[in-house]
Parts: sequence; C-alpha cells; structure tokens
Amino acid sequence: MTALLQVKDFHYYYGKIHVVKGVNMEVREGEMVTIIGANGAGKTTTLQAISGLLPPGGVRGEITFNGKNITNSGGDKIARMGLSQVIEGRHIFSKLTVQENLMVGAYCRKDKTGIDKDLERIFKLFPRLKERLKQLGGTLSGGEQQMLAIGRSLISNPKMILLDEPSLGLAPIVFREIFETIKEINEREGKTVLFVEQNAKLALKTAGRGYVFQTGEVVMHDTGENLERNPEIRKAYLGG
Amino acid sequence: MLARVLVSGLVIGCIYGLIALGYSLIYRASGLMNFCQGDILTIGAFLGYTFYAMLKLPFAVAFILTIVLEIALGMLLERAVIRRLLGKKVDGTYIVLATIAVSYMLQNGAILGWGTRIFYFPPIFSVLSVRVFDINIQSEAAFCIVASVILMIVLHIFVKYTAYGTAMRASAMDAKAAKACGVDPAMTIALTWGISAAIGGLCGMLIGPVYGVFITLGAAIGRKGFAGAVIGGFGNMYGALLGGALLGIIETVTTAYVSSIYKDVVSYGLLLVFLLIKPTGIFNERAIAD
Repeated sequence: MTALLQVKDFHYYYGKIHVVKGVNMEVREGEMVTIIGANGAGKTTTLQAISGLLPPGGVRGEITFNGKNITNSGGDKIARMGLSQVIEGRHIFSKLTVQENLMVGAYCRKDKTGIDKDLERIFKLFPRLKERLKQLGGTLSGGEQQMLAIGRSLISNPKMILLDEPSLGLAPIVFREIFETIKEINEREGKTVLFVEQNAKLALKTAGRGYVFQTGEVVMHDTGENLERNPEIRKAYLGG
Repeated sequence: MLARVLVSGLVIGCIYGLIALGYSLIYRASGLMNFCQGDILTIGAFLGYTFYAMLKLPFAVAFILTIVLEIALGMLLERAVIRRLLGKKVDGTYIVLATIAVSYMLQNGAILGWGTRIFYFPPIFSVLSVRVFDINIQSEAAFCIVASVILMIVLHIFVKYTAYGTAMRASAMDAKAAKACGVDPAMTIALTWGISAAIGGLCGMLIGPVYGVFITLGAAIGRKGFAGAVIGGFGNMYGALLGGALLGIIETVTTAYVSSIYKDVVSYGLLLVFLLIKPTGIFNERAIAD
C-alpha cells in the first residue's frame, strides 16, 4: 500500500540555519502517527512545511500527499487538497464568532448539505461549541479554543489532519478529553492523523506509530507500544 | 436653515465616512495607513467626468467603468508597491511614507492627464432638486446620500455575512490560520485594496457632481476621512462611518453658524482632542492607542 503522506529527504533552512536535516517519514491511509521530541527538534517546522505554511525558500526534499507532489504548493492549495492542519497555539480568529470561525473552516466547500451534516457531527464531538456559537473566538477558554481549532479543521472534511501540540497549555483533564476525541476522529471517522506532542507518554499511548525527532533528524521510529517500552525513550522522554 | 445645513453636512459626511471606511479596511488587512485614499477619490472623479461628460457615456456605464478601473488601481498599488515593501520587512512607517509618495504621483499624474482647471459635471438627473420634508435638495446631493447609504449597507452585508467577506476578515486577523483553512490571504488582501480604491472612486463620482472636479478635491477629503476614522476608532468599520458623518456635520454647522474660515480648525481640533483624550475613538478600537 502506498503512503497517503510521504516525506522524502526533507530539509528546512531558516536563512542559513539548517533546522531539519534529511527527514524521511510516511503515513498510510487511516493511520494515527505521532512525532515526539524535545523543544527545537524540528517537529513544528516539519509539520508546517508539509502544510505549506512556512516561507517556501527554505524547503529541500520532496513531500507528496495523495500521490501528488505538494512541495511548495502553497498552504491554501494544500488545505484545499484535503490536508488540514490544526496549527500550534490554536490560532483561533479571535474577533470572529465561533460560527464564523467554522464558516472560514468550510471556506473551500460548496456543498451546503454536506457542511450542515459535518457541523452536526462536530457538535456531537464538542457539544460546547454549539452552546457558544455566537460568542467571539477570543473569549473562549483554552480548551474550548482547541476544540474550535479541531472543529474548524474537521468542517473542511479533510482526508488527513495534522495537529501540532493539541495539549499545549491545557489542564490534564481537558487535554485527555481532547485526545479521546482525536482518537474517535481517527477510529470512527477514518481520518488519517499525524500529530506532534510534547506529552510523549500520552502521544505514544494514543498513536499507532511514532517518530522520534532529535535536533532535526529522525533518530527512531517504531510502533507506539515498542517506543513506549524502549529504555532509551523511557529515559529521555517518559521520565524513567 | 438648520435642516438645510444638516443635509449638506450629511452629503460631505457620507463621503468622509466612506473614505474613513477605506482607511479602516486597509488598516485591518495590511496593518497600514494608506494616505493615497484621497487621491484615489480624485482619480475616480476625473475618470467619471471623462467617461460621462467627455465621452458622453451613460452615467451608469461611466459609474461601472470607473469602479472597475479603480479596483484595478488599488490592486496594482498593493501588488507593485505595498506587498514588495512588506516582503522586505521594512518598518511600517516607511510604507506609510511610500503611500504618501504615491499620493503625490497620482496628483501630478492627474495634472498631466487633465490639467489644473475645475471641471463641472453636466447634470446627471433631469430634475434639479428633490423636495424632502419641506426642503429642496439638489438631486446630485440627494443621490450622494442615498448611494452612500446603500453602499454602506452592501459593504456591511458583504463583509459580515458572506463567506468571502468573512474570509477577508479572517485573513486580516491571522493570515497563517486563514491559509490553513484554504483561503489565499494574498488574494483577499489585494482585493481589500481593490475594494477600498473602488470606494474612493465611487466617492469621487458622487461628490464630483456636487463640488466640481479638480486636482486637490481628494487631498482635503482624504485628510478629513482620516480624521473621521480616528474619531470613530481607527480600524473599526462602523466607527469610521460614524466618525466621518459626524465630522461632516460639525464642519458644515461651523461654516454656517460661525465662519468657513474656522471649519478646518474645528475639524482638526476635534481630531487632536480625540488623539489626546480618547485615541481609541468612539468605538474603542485599539489601533492608535498602542
């Protein structure tokens, strides 16, 4: 089976600084894969480069999605191809209402009935969004903003979702709830998921496979279970 | 007397409000103050005059042609000047200076094309005036008010309720997130400049028949529009309209009851008062306070 997302010998340069150094990765359809690693390992850079959200000049290598070369295709085009990213830090449109935020998420769709159906699904996953529909995005709590960010991505009906640090700044009880939902999105709705996560323990428990990044390189990749048991990983990322 | 003064205040006030709205849209989209708004109005008035009075095209056709050309001018300005400068990451102040440079180029360009005399529009309507509540209003002035109000409502609906308008607001807030939603921020920002220029051109077509068309027509209106935007709350669409309308009325009342010599003192005095005491304007927008 060919991979839905394939990253081949990917490098990224911020000016002269070489931050990602030859990453190879693939995610097959229906999989749930995580990237873990310390701060500054190049996880977010890789994710944003895949989605075309970084200045294109710094990219070397090849990224293919759904059989098409998307290297430097431009973020809006990549999103319209069905590869959606929930950006690190949520990036809610703070002065738009929850409803308007979702409306922008559905920007590339024209099928009104399909949008309404997906909206109902999203409200089932996150009932709180329905209650806050008329509220401005900026007035939501951190957890609600994360739900909105995920909802805004889902409403585009993507083939694959990239999530960057969905647990960032959230209380444990809130991010566990969000991870449950992400799992549901993968298992029940069949969306392919690739996510970056600081909380390695939670990440490896949730994902089928994981890539471990260290200073811009993939130093290990295996199933989530094997990584969780690996003594080196335990020592470095799981607190012994 | 007062009613008539208020009507003429409303005519110019609507124009100030619309120009102020142009400033606000661009501030939201690009984080900049665009000081050629007024000269874009001048160009609009000249284009309208050329199509309507010189080429004898029907008014509606002249109107549409002017708007289309102004949209193109606004988008060209954004692509050729503003985006390049933003791409070089120069300080915003320099880009604002660049818009002032463009403003003089437009003014001088207009002299090259049309000379320095005043042109008067031939009447647009067959009736000279309409009677509303016992006062006679010049047809062109009434048209200016009605068209301005319609334009405000159309813009409000477009920006607030359509998918594209919402995407425009979203890109102005967070370009990266908008991109991740499939919106092309480069396009929405360019179009915002196009729309602002179209508003300027439309204002030129509306005020030209009332005031006459000349090189510095827009320069003064542009400055007043800026003052209106600040008074309303810079960057706020509705504040801009209100601030502009208010300024137009205050100015006309001053002219009528005090003296036209003092009208600018009062208007710009009001601008200073707001800058000193309430820089966030009536609608409490943070743009100038920071």
